[in-house]
Amino acid sequence: MGTPASKRQAARKPDITGIALIPLAIFFVLALVFPFLPLGDRGAFLLQIGFFTLVAGIMALSWDILARSGQVSLAHAAFYGLGAYGYALLLKTGMAWPLAMPLAALGAGVISLVLGAVTMRLSGMYFAIATLAFTEVVRTVIQNLPESVAGGANGLLVPALLGGNSRGQYLLALALLALTAGVSLAVRTGRLHHAFAAIRQGEETARVLGVSTVRYKLAAFFISSFLAALAGVLYAGKTFFISPLDTFSLANSIAPLTTSIFGGLYTTLGPILGATVLRVAEEALHNVVKNGYLVVYGLVLMLSILWLPRGLMGLFRRGKHGGDV
Amino acid sequence: MPGEVVLRADGLSKRFGGLQAVQNVTFDHYDGEILAVIGPNGAGKTTLLNLLSGVYRPSTGRLELLGQDITHAPMEHRCHAGLGRAFQVVRPFPEMTVHENVTVGALFGQPGTTLPQARERAYDLLERTGLADQAARAAHELTLLQDKRMEIARALATGPRVLLLDEVMAGLRPGEAAEAVELIRSVRADGVSVLFIEHIMPVVRDLADRVVVMDQGQVIAQGTYREVTAHPQVVAAYLGTEEGLGA
Repeated sequence: MGTPASKRQAARKPDITGIALIPLAIFFVLALVFPFLPLGDRGAFLLQIGFFTLVAGIMALSWDILARSGQVSLAHAAFYGLGAYGYALLLKTGMAWPLAMPLAALGAGVISLVLGAVTMRLSGMYFAIATLAFTEVVRTVIQNLPESVAGGANGLLVPALLGGNSRGQYLLALALLALTAGVSLAVRTGRLHHAFAAIRQGEETARVLGVSTVRYKLAAFFISSFLAALAGVLYAGKTFFISPLDTFSLANSIAPLTTSIFGGLYTTLGPILGATVLRVAEEALHNVVKNGYLVVYGLVLMLSILWLPRGLMGLFRRGKHGGDV
Repeated sequence: MPGEVVLRADGLSKRFGGLQAVQNVTFDHYDGEILAVIGPNGAGKTTLLNLLSGVYRPSTGRLELLGQDITHAPMEHRCHAGLGRAFQVVRPFPEMTVHENVTVGALFGQPGTTLPQARERAYDLLERTGLADQAARAAHELTLLQDKRMEIARALATGPRVLLLDEVMAGLRPGEAAEAVELIRSVRADGVSVLFIEHIMPVVRDLADRVVVMDQGQVIAQGTYREVTAHPQVVAAYLGTEEGLGA
């Protein structure tokens, strides 16, 4: 309300209605407190679940950023694996880990530009299949490098992150998830949001309105791959052993997709929340229904997608108008 | 009288396999002019518009915008060079708000625009097109007339010198069409040259300074409304069609 002039002034401000900033802040506070709780003798185990939940959150949120530009990719295992292998290979050269980590991510980001350029004219199913094929190509190349370089099919040993300090590893993962969330929010409140959403909702119309779709689609790839590669670095440094089959497994490409859909597409909190709920549910089910917990897990996922078409985020904003969160 | 040529089509042709959809089309569009392109169904009007806006590349011929060769320029470059387009079938970004839809045009249509500038400019255009009250609504909730207004606001937001309109009156009731005519006049009053495709002849008569008539992919007449409707070839092209000349 107000005078036309004040309305115009208000119109300048970015539209952040619906961005669930407070729940997001609550999540990060709780996640920060978690490793300092008296977790008892199951502490190490719980910290490990927490760590992989954070990694899953980075994967899902980085996948979501790419999806916002209309590119539904199945190449996330490739970016993850490129991060893991890039990091391991850089460490082998004697590089310090704080340098190897961003460099590995940068390398994955640059390689993703090649994929982005090749798939530029594809969409939907064809795009997804091309990204899937890309993952296989990267896996095959790495598997067939000389064993002395990348370990071949047998895999590669990686020095443990932070000397194997579980709490430190957890906090590093939390910091990288915070970085990912920060990037996601910056995308959401800036030019990129308008470019990505326009491309996703009508690529030709976007071009008619002056959006340089090539540039923005590549930007989405770079950002997404960079962040996913950081998740790969965390994985490599936590498990201190990586192999092509595990690292580039299809599950690593599918999980970010289902997690984002379950949590709430095109949002910052949704994929993080999705990762948390799904990882915890998976562990809990594993304890309760030892055999066949995956069947129950799949059933829960299916039903929740049926009941919550906007994902968990739909619970936060029932009845509000459409639009990205 | 005619001023600077803003858009020049020189021998544009487009062939799809064996079909010559547009053949050797030549015309000049002058600064500040409202130019109508008319013709029976299948005359090649929409193909021509797609050649102008860059959806298709011509098989032969040349296209100039403000003296700059844009024959092979991609759509986004044409937009940056000053060419705007509104579609016949409105294409809102359905999940964005009305304000965001128009902001996209303002933000990317003119490189160097910041987001706050774009949002303010978009809001101004919403006020001008009578959509300010709908700013925060999702685009998929608009009525057809509101959709068309938004489509024009979004195209104007890119800061065009020439605006291409593809049958924007289609589907509007008479009262709504009159509103749309007023909107297009006000666009021209702001110094934007307008090229529109239309088959509702009274609208063409009221709005167009000059008319280009197409039939079977070719230009068969050019001139004022009165001149072209008296042209024997035009009469022949329209005879027997249910639209007639709306006289």
